[in-house]
Formats: sequence, C-alpha cells, structure tokens
Amino acid sequence: MLFNGVRGSAIASHREDGNKEMERTMTLSLRESVHLVSDPRNLDESVEEVFQLMLGVNCSRCARPSESVELESVTAVVGFGGLLSGACVFRSGASTAIKVAKQMTGMEFTEIDDTVKDGIGEICNMLAGAWKGKVPDLAANCGLSIPAVISGRNYNLHVQAPEFRLNHYYSFDDARFDVTIICDGLQ
Amino acid sequence: MSEVRTLIVDDSSVMRKIVERALRQAGLDLAVILEAGSGTEGLEVLRANHVDLILSDINMPSMDGLEFLRQIRAQSLAPGVPVVMITTESSEEHVKQAILAGAQGYIRKPFTAEQVKERVLPLLSAA
Repeated sequence: MLFNGVRGSAIASHREDGNKEMERTMTLSLRESVHLVSDPRNLDESVEEVFQLMLGVNCSRCARPSESVELESVTAVVGFGGLLSGACVFRSGASTAIKVAKQMTGMEFTEIDDTVKDGIGEICNMLAGAWKGKVPDLAANCGLSIPAVISGRNYNLHVQAPEFRLNHYYSFDDARFDVTIICDGLQ
Repeated sequence: MSEVRTLIVDDSSVMRKIVERALRQAGLDLAVILEAGSGTEGLEVLRANHVDLILSDINMPSMDGLEFLRQIRAQSLAPGVPVVMITTESSEEHVKQAILAGAQGYIRKPFTAEQVKERVLPLLSAA
C-alpha cells in the first residue's frame, strides 16, 4: 500500500524504532539548519504551489507597494509550535481576499463574510504547511494551529524581536497580498 | 462507478466544498454528501448514516482527524469503509500516524483533482 510515497510496511519498523525516533526527536535541533529554515525561496515556492493548485493562478513575487489604497484588510494567522515557534501571516486588502475566495469556491462575494474569512484562513493554513514541508525536520517536529482570521480597518500586527522574519509581496492578475513568516523561537 | 455516499470532515466549509468539487471532477457519482466540522460531529453523522467513503482533515478543533479515525475503529462505526486523510501535514511521521490509526489513503493540501482521483478511486474499487 502506498501513501504519498510512504509504504505501509514502514509501520513495522516504525514501532521497532519508536524509542530511537523519540530519542532523536528530543535531541534534534534546527539551530544548525537555520539557513535552510530561513531560505526565502521556500516561501516563494510555497506561495506559487498553493495558488497554482488551489486557485489555478500563477502568482509571482513583486515589490512592496508604496502605500495601500484599501482601508479594509484581512489578516490570517497560523501559529507554529514545536522546534520552531512563530507564525505564518497572510495579509491582503478586501478586494484581493474576495478574489481569492471566489477563485477557491466559484462563488460570488460582495463583502468579507464568514466564507471569505474561512477561505483566507485555509490559504494561510496551506501556506504554513507547504512552507514547513520544505524542510523535513521542520515538517516532522513543528505543529500548526487552527487559523485565526482578522478583518477590519486601521490595525497592526506587532511582534517583538523575532529570531528571523520573511516578508514577501506577491501578485496575480490585479490582486496583491503579502505573506510573512515570523520565527520567534528556534530550538 | 455506482453511487457513492461520502462523508467529508473538515472545520473549513470552503475546504469541504473544494473536496466535494474534486471528487466530482474525479468522476465519482456522489449520491449523498454528508459534512461535519469536527471529528465529534463526524462520529454523530456515522452513527446515523451509512457511508461508502470518508475523507477527513487532521487539524480540527474539538476532536482532530486522527482521534476521529481511532474512534471510528474503536466503536466499529463504518466497518470496511475506506478513510482518506486530507491535510496540510505532510511529514512521514504524520503519514505513519494516520496509517496506524487506520487510514487507507493520505492526500496533502494543496491537492489537484487528479491526485484525489488517483488515491480515492482504487480504494472504492477494492471496497
């Protein structure tokens, strides 16, 4: 039996190696591979992959806009816990959030309702999962929280002195958004 | 393929719709689609309904997908019905946990309709 490339026979060895695996996990550190974890290309690849597969659009990195013309914005946050603690943050104006939700569901939206927020939360969840999946030790030893979504005007997200931070802007068609990876603790 | 009664368990209603669309694109004749927003709700649905296929997320509030799967087996709900996990968690360790809990398939989000077809159709043919 094959599960995304992992054979069912792996289970037997998994049980036998349980103690060794636990020992390895307990002593594992991401400090030595921080250059892999913070590689900015992982974030770009994750965004391109998620938007291509779930929305069918080609998304590319762009320059940071000089200023936002939209007052209302949507922010989704998925927390990381385990060997890395921090968060993946997706942020866009209302029009981009509506466009993303429309592309995902095929439905029409005129405002940021619960379905739009749900869709943006899932996008953020998949971005967080795809990003941590780029580094095997991170994928196996870092959990994800349930997405939290905030919408409104004139709010800021503040994080104190992170270990590292990636903040990239992307576009597809006339839509713009940014994704931030915040690492505030690395074991 | 004959009509398939399917349970989709995911805390995101948008993802439940996307999974349903992918199943239809895969060519499944979906007679009934039942939905649940957590493992707890999923167990309630299974106590009251017969299904031919279960697709479940892992990270959910109230009861996660792995515990949902363990409870299905422990309570002998839906015996012989294939369960496919659809989740953002992609490590080998998560796949192993899903297999140990009794899953027959594993699909990583984001996914394509083609991936859903490849992993789900053989399970229905074998059931």
